[in-house]
Amino acid sequence: MPEIRIKNISKTYVSEFKREKKIAVENFSLTIHSAESFGIIGRNGAGKSTTIKMIMGFIKPDKGDIIIDDKKPSDPDSRLNVGYLPENPYFYDNLSAEELLKFSSYTSGLDKKTAEKRINTLLNQVGLYAVRKQRLRTYSKGMTQRVGICFALIHDPDIIILDEPMSGLDPFGRKMVIDLIEDLKKRGKTILFCSHILNDVERICDRVAIMDSGTLKGIFTKQHVLENEGMEKLFLTLVREK
Amino acid sequence: MIPKMVSLIFLSFKEGVRERALIGIGLFSLFMMGSAFVGVSLFMRDLHKVSVDINLSAITLAGLLLTFFVSINLISKDIDKHTIYCVLSKPFSRSQYIWGKYLGIMLLIVTAFCMLTLCSSVNLFLIKSQYDVYFQTFSWLEFYKAIYSELLMLFLLNAIVLFFSTITTSSFITLLFSLSIYVAGQTIEEVVLFLKTRSAADMALSETINTIIDITQYILPNLSVFDLKVHAAHAIPISYGYLFSITCYSLVYSVVLLLSASIIFNRRELN
Repeated sequence: MPEIRIKNISKTYVSEFKREKKIAVENFSLTIHSAESFGIIGRNGAGKSTTIKMIMGFIKPDKGDIIIDDKKPSDPDSRLNVGYLPENPYFYDNLSAEELLKFSSYTSGLDKKTAEKRINTLLNQVGLYAVRKQRLRTYSKGMTQRVGICFALIHDPDIIILDEPMSGLDPFGRKMVIDLIEDLKKRGKTILFCSHILNDVERICDRVAIMDSGTLKGIFTKQHVLENEGMEKLFLTLVREK
Repeated sequence: MIPKMVSLIFLSFKEGVRERALIGIGLFSLFMMGSAFVGVSLFMRDLHKVSVDINLSAITLAGLLLTFFVSINLISKDIDKHTIYCVLSKPFSRSQYIWGKYLGIMLLIVTAFCMLTLCSSVNLFLIKSQYDVYFQTFSWLEFYKAIYSELLMLFLLNAIVLFFSTITTSSFITLLFSLSIYVAGQTIEEVVLFLKTRSAADMALSETINTIIDITQYILPNLSVFDLKVHAAHAIPISYGYLFSITCYSLVYSVVLLLSASIIFNRRELN
C-alpha cells in the first residue's frame, strides 16, 4: 500500500504586484511506497520544497491530487502519522527545547509519561540533553536543526518528511543525522528526503527523483545509480547548466 | 492526555508571556499607577475621580500596548518566520490554529489584567486610606465593572488584530489597519452624532452619504460602549443588563471576525 501518492500536480506562483507567473512545479507525479526511503534532488528553485509544502498542506496545488496515508493534505488527520522537518527550521524562540518537544508530543497524542521518556531519549541522541532548558533563541543553527529533527520524530511517526535535514550541520551533526535516518530505515519507516547534497541522498535513499525547473527528470533506483557511475554524473547529465 | 488545543493555547501564552516588551509594558503601567499615588496630592478636589481615572487608564493602556505590540507580533512572526509550520505540521486545522492563538493571547491579556487589577486595587486602597474623605461616593463594584468592560473591548480588538493578520502579509499593515479600526471604533458614535446634528442644523446631507454613514456605523465596531471610566470615576451605577449586552456584543462580533479569519486563512498559501 503506497504511503504517499502524488498525481499530476502543478503549482504556479503569481507575484503580488507585477502579476508575473513562475512555474514552481509542473505535472509532477510520484508514488512513495511504505517503508521506502525516497530522495528528491535538484538545484535551488527546482521545486523540491514546493512539492513538500503541498504534501504537508501548507500550499495547495493548482491542479492534481496528493494522497498521504490515505488522506488528502487538507485533512489535519493526514499529518497524525507524519514527522516533518522544514528547510531552515525556525521555532518559538522564547521556549526551551524541552517545552517545544512537549508541545510536539502532546499534539501528536502522546501521554505525559511517554512524552517525557521520548524527549529525554531523543535529546540524548542528538546531544542536546544538557541544554534542554535553555531558550531556543540561544541555540546555534545546527542546534536548532537538531531540535527540529527531534520535533519531527518525537511521536515515532511512520512517515518522515525531511526538507534539507543536513543544512547548517557540521560533519559530526551530519553523521548523527545520517545514522538516525539509517536507524529509521531499518525500523521500516517511510522517508521522504529532500536535498541538494548528492552524496547523502545516494547513501540513504532506495530511490531518487531528480527535479529541474519544476519538472520530474527521472526516478532511479539505488542500484541504477551505482551501476551508472554515481549520483553526481547522473544528475549532471539530466540537469544541464542554464 | 493533554488535549492538543490546550497545548496550543499554552504555547501561545508562554511565547507571549516571555516577550521582552511585556516587562516594559508592565513597568510603564506600574509607573502610571505610582504616579497616581503621588500625583493626587497635587489636586485640591475630586481626588477619587483623578485616581480612579489614572488607574483605569493605566490598565487600558497596558491592554492596548499588549495588543498592538505583543499580539500582532505573535501572529505575524508565526507567518513571517514560518514558525507556523511547526504547528500546522501537527494534526491541526487552520481554524484550530486561529482559535488556539486567539485563546492563548486572551489568556495572556486576562492574566495581565488580573495582575494589573490587583496592583491597581492596592494602589487605590492606599490612596483611599490616605484621603478617605474624598472617597465617600467611590464604589469598588463600579471600578471592577469598568475593568471588565475594558477587557471585553480587548477581546474584540484582538479578534480584529487576528482578522487583519490573516489577510495581510506584514505586521506593519496589520498594526496600521487595527489602529485605524480602534480609533474609528472609539469615535464613530460621536462623529455620526456630529454629522447628523450638523446636517439638521446647517445643510442636509445627501441620501447617499447618509446611507454610507449608517452602513459604516453598523459595520465598524462601536468601541466607545466599552469605555466606562467616567461611570467608575463618578460612581455612576452600571446596570447588569448593560454589562450583559456589551458582553454579547463583544463575543458575537469577535466570533464573527474569527470565523471570517478562519475562512480566509484556510485559503491562504503559506509559502
